Amino acid sequence: MTSQGIESQASVKQWAAGAGFDHDPAEVREDKLRILADFCTKVGKQPDELVAFCILRKKATGERFLSVKRREAINGWLDDFTGEQGWTGKQAVVNANVVRSFLIHNGVLIQGRVWRG
Amino acid sequence: MEFKQVVGNRRTIRFFDPNRPVEPEKIQVMLEAANRASRAVNADFAKAIVCYRDELTDEVREALKTPTTTVQIDLAPVTIFWYGDTTFVNGAQDRLKELVDLGALPVTHGWTHPYVDDLVYPQVLEPLSKDALATTWAVSVEAGLAIAQAMLAGVDEGLGVGLHAFNAAGAKDVLKVPDHWVPMWILLVGYPAEDPKGGGQRPRRPLSNSYYRGQYGTPWTEIPEVTERLKREGMIQDPMPADASERMQEIKQLADRFGLPL
Repeated sequence: MTSQGIESQASVKQWAAGAGFDHDPAEVREDKLRILADFCTKVGKQPDELVAFCILRKKATGERFLSVKRREAINGWLDDFTGEQGWTGKQAVVNANVVRSFLIHNGVLIQGRVWRG
Repeated sequence: MEFKQVVGNRRTIRFFDPNRPVEPEKIQVMLEAANRASRAVNADFAKAIVCYRDELTDEVREALKTPTTTVQIDLAPVTIFWYGDTTFVNGAQDRLKELVDLGALPVTHGWTHPYVDDLVYPQVLEPLSKDALATTWAVSVEAGLAIAQAMLAGVDEGLGVGLHAFNAAGAKDVLKVPDHWVPMWILLVGYPAEDPKGGGQRPRRPLSNSYYRGQYGTPWTEIPEVTERLKREGMIQDPMPADASERMQEIKQLADRFGLPL
């Protein structure tokens, strides 16, 4: 998956619009897209699928809800991902939170690590 | 700080200075404020476990986190886990009779030992204690009173505070709380990393939206002079401005500092 390849996904467009990074310098925007693309490659899901993964429906009512377990799974994958990328310190926190920003702007409340350095 | 200023200054703080320790003395003030709260049958409804973030093992800290609380728990140096004790009826007779003997429950209002033994306990408290819904209602209201006093005491001590839901199942295991404690809220405590006034008071509807005189449908009529006095005395403060650009800039700076998503 490439950063260019994911831009057409509705969830990525929503992220770009919500976070306002359409106005960021090209290299900053490219960095964010690349991090998301690489993460999506790692977990074998397209961005739209990643959002859908977090949202389940109650069997009884069909009502949509955000799965805690699925979000915990994503946080676990993010920990693995940052380790595999060799990121440490604040960079590890910031880059994992790029992926969380993508999810947040698609309606998925997910929190992760904080840099307290 | 004056009481009205404390009420007016309180905000739900979401960005704490993670590295500025909270003095245990100030936490004790908060707990004592809770301990002084009004309570039915003079029972200790509110229970709390004070956790200093940096005293917890990594394993415990991780167990307390959920995808919706991680940032707050990581930023706040102190988390107070509040519970309500469903066994509040135990000892109620003795406590009530003690209040009768002390004159807090006066005979002028009908209070006597026989009234406690023959009516209040068997006809009110015991049935209440066997009704799960009623027990939960009573415990929640009474614990809420204590939590509110602790929260305001924290503000009075210059701390930032914020109430949140928490992962009760995870907390129960690691905090080893007894089965008869029901989870209420977590109260996060620390020094604010954000503007303690949070950009202004949160939007509130006028009194007439919620408060009535005599009967439902007759809204309480505000007395403008009182409203003006409360503004001077700090209970009513400037609301968050509709133009949130300054607050958004502050959030961006905090996000940069803590590496948070934007």
